[in-house]
Amino acid sequence: MKSELKKMKYLISRNIKLYFKDKFTFFVSLITPFILFILFVTFLKTTYENNLEAIIQNYSVNKKIINAFTGGWLFSSVLSTSCITVAFCSGMMVLDKITKANIDFCVSPVKNSTLQISYVVANLITTLIVCSILFFIGLLYLTFIGFYLSFSDIILIVFNMILTSLLGCLIANIIWTFASSQGVVSSVCTLISAMYGFICGAYMPINTMGETIKNVTVFFPGTYATLLFRKGFLNGTLNEMGKTLPNEMVEEIAKSFDCSFKFFGNSVSTATMFLVLIGSITIFFIILFLVSKLKRKSK
Amino acid sequence: MENVIEIKNLKKYFGTVKAVDDISLNVKKGQLFAFLGLNGAGKSTTINILVGILEKDSGECLINNKSIENINAILPEIGIVFQSSILDKNLSVYENLKYRAMMYDLTNEQFEKNLTFFVENLEMKDILTKPLDKLSGGQKRKVDIARALIHKPSILILDEPTTGLDPKTRSLVWQLVNNLRKKENLSVLLTTHYMEEAVESDFVVIMDNGKIVATGTPNQLKNKYANDYVKLFNYDKKILKILEKEKITFQKNKEFLLIEFKNTMLAKNFVVENKHLIFDLEILKGKMDDVFLNVTGKNLKENL
Repeated sequence: MKSELKKMKYLISRNIKLYFKDKFTFFVSLITPFILFILFVTFLKTTYENNLEAIIQNYSVNKKIINAFTGGWLFSSVLSTSCITVAFCSGMMVLDKITKANIDFCVSPVKNSTLQISYVVANLITTLIVCSILFFIGLLYLTFIGFYLSFSDIILIVFNMILTSLLGCLIANIIWTFASSQGVVSSVCTLISAMYGFICGAYMPINTMGETIKNVTVFFPGTYATLLFRKGFLNGTLNEMGKTLPNEMVEEIAKSFDCSFKFFGNSVSTATMFLVLIGSITIFFIILFLVSKLKRKSK
Repeated sequence: MENVIEIKNLKKYFGTVKAVDDISLNVKKGQLFAFLGLNGAGKSTTINILVGILEKDSGECLINNKSIENINAILPEIGIVFQSSILDKNLSVYENLKYRAMMYDLTNEQFEKNLTFFVENLEMKDILTKPLDKLSGGQKRKVDIARALIHKPSILILDEPTTGLDPKTRSLVWQLVNNLRKKENLSVLLTTHYMEEAVESDFVVIMDNGKIVATGTPNQLKNKYANDYVKLFNYDKKILKILEKEKITFQKNKEFLLIEFKNTMLAKNFVVENKHLIFDLEILKGKMDDVFLNVTGKNLKENL
């Protein structure tokens, strides 16, 4: 056990080092969500401000709060998608298959499970490094336009960031078990980048989606990750709004912008959302384990 | 001598292709064992089964008396050099060797000690901090050999290890392998296209279409399968008539007359019987190329 942990430590270190040695990949991983954020702020912020003002109507709310709300909403969308897309684009498993380094590990006395876990952990660490830089930029942005995050909100975001990234890494590594070329990686990354934001309610509030799509999205664990980011980024701002707006209006805003959520009519608490995420992670971990075992048997 | 590798009735089929078709062989301790065969003969498939990259369909493989079913228990006893480098191109030589060594549960002290040995013996001091993709082909191969031996295994598997190397590096590699064989009683399983490497082996197995078609020491194989040649530089022209009369194959050019015999005894008898017609000669034993051609009906060099 101790020996396998030592091997895992070196494998994780190797995978991370290899990822950061490829400066272009690191730069692209970092710049893509940043560009997405700039595009969001440039093209969507005004639309969401208008939607918010349409709910508020004649009530007067400080512009700083509106800025903080829309900025926080957009940033939660970017962070929610980035945790998944960066996880997909920073894995080493396929790269090892392309360079055939996986064969070298196959002839080394290292357990397949150690190898698999090291890929996931290294992938998680690189994803968290990129997302943490992004989160820091987001906090700076919110500091300029309006900062209402409490310490507990930040803890919630960080914890959710870890869980969402881990979920992304597990799903990515399950898919990468079957992939062996750069072409497949690029295609899957493009597909995930294009689709994920919509199906998990990051690019537009779930509340604005059609009933059928809404019923489908509630079954995606990514939806709950997005909802938790919304809660983390917007709880403070909603509390601040509550000082000047009636409770019903604040609840309507929370509902319209996915800060509160109902699963077929039943309210879903923050703890339940975390449980859904942890449960999904457990299921995907078991799938990854079974898939790796099956793949190794089919040699 | 005890067997370090035992293969019994090994089979591996890919659909209808019989990659390895019921082969059995033994590699003895300290032996340099050569696998000869064209691409697709089944050499690499056999090696891949031995090191756990592929699973066998049937048969038994033992390494140091341990079944390959528990592959992780025998991998520390094996080092393998593949046909092309599969180390991390963006990492330095040191990083590559360290990360790989740690998979064998070596301590830092053991790693540094082993590394020092290879740095000195393979002249790797100047390249240790360089990234792998900045090295020449020969330098990369040195690193591959060091990687295969960094944990000091008892069995070294070389899958066409010197292909593409310059003669100096090739000689350096063999010098190190031979030194280790002597010092550590290292057993070597080699696949090669170079006949001069096969001829240095203690035992040779020739594979064709997944089957073993000939086995023996290079000398036994040459005696059994290769022709002998008598090269005459100065001779009486009457000998040509004798050759034609007895239907003995020969080639004539300006420099010499090359006469082909099925074995050494026939060559010797011919020379003795016609000594009055022969003034300057050389007797050549057949080469491994001839053995390969006669056993498989295929020319190794033409098929590379």
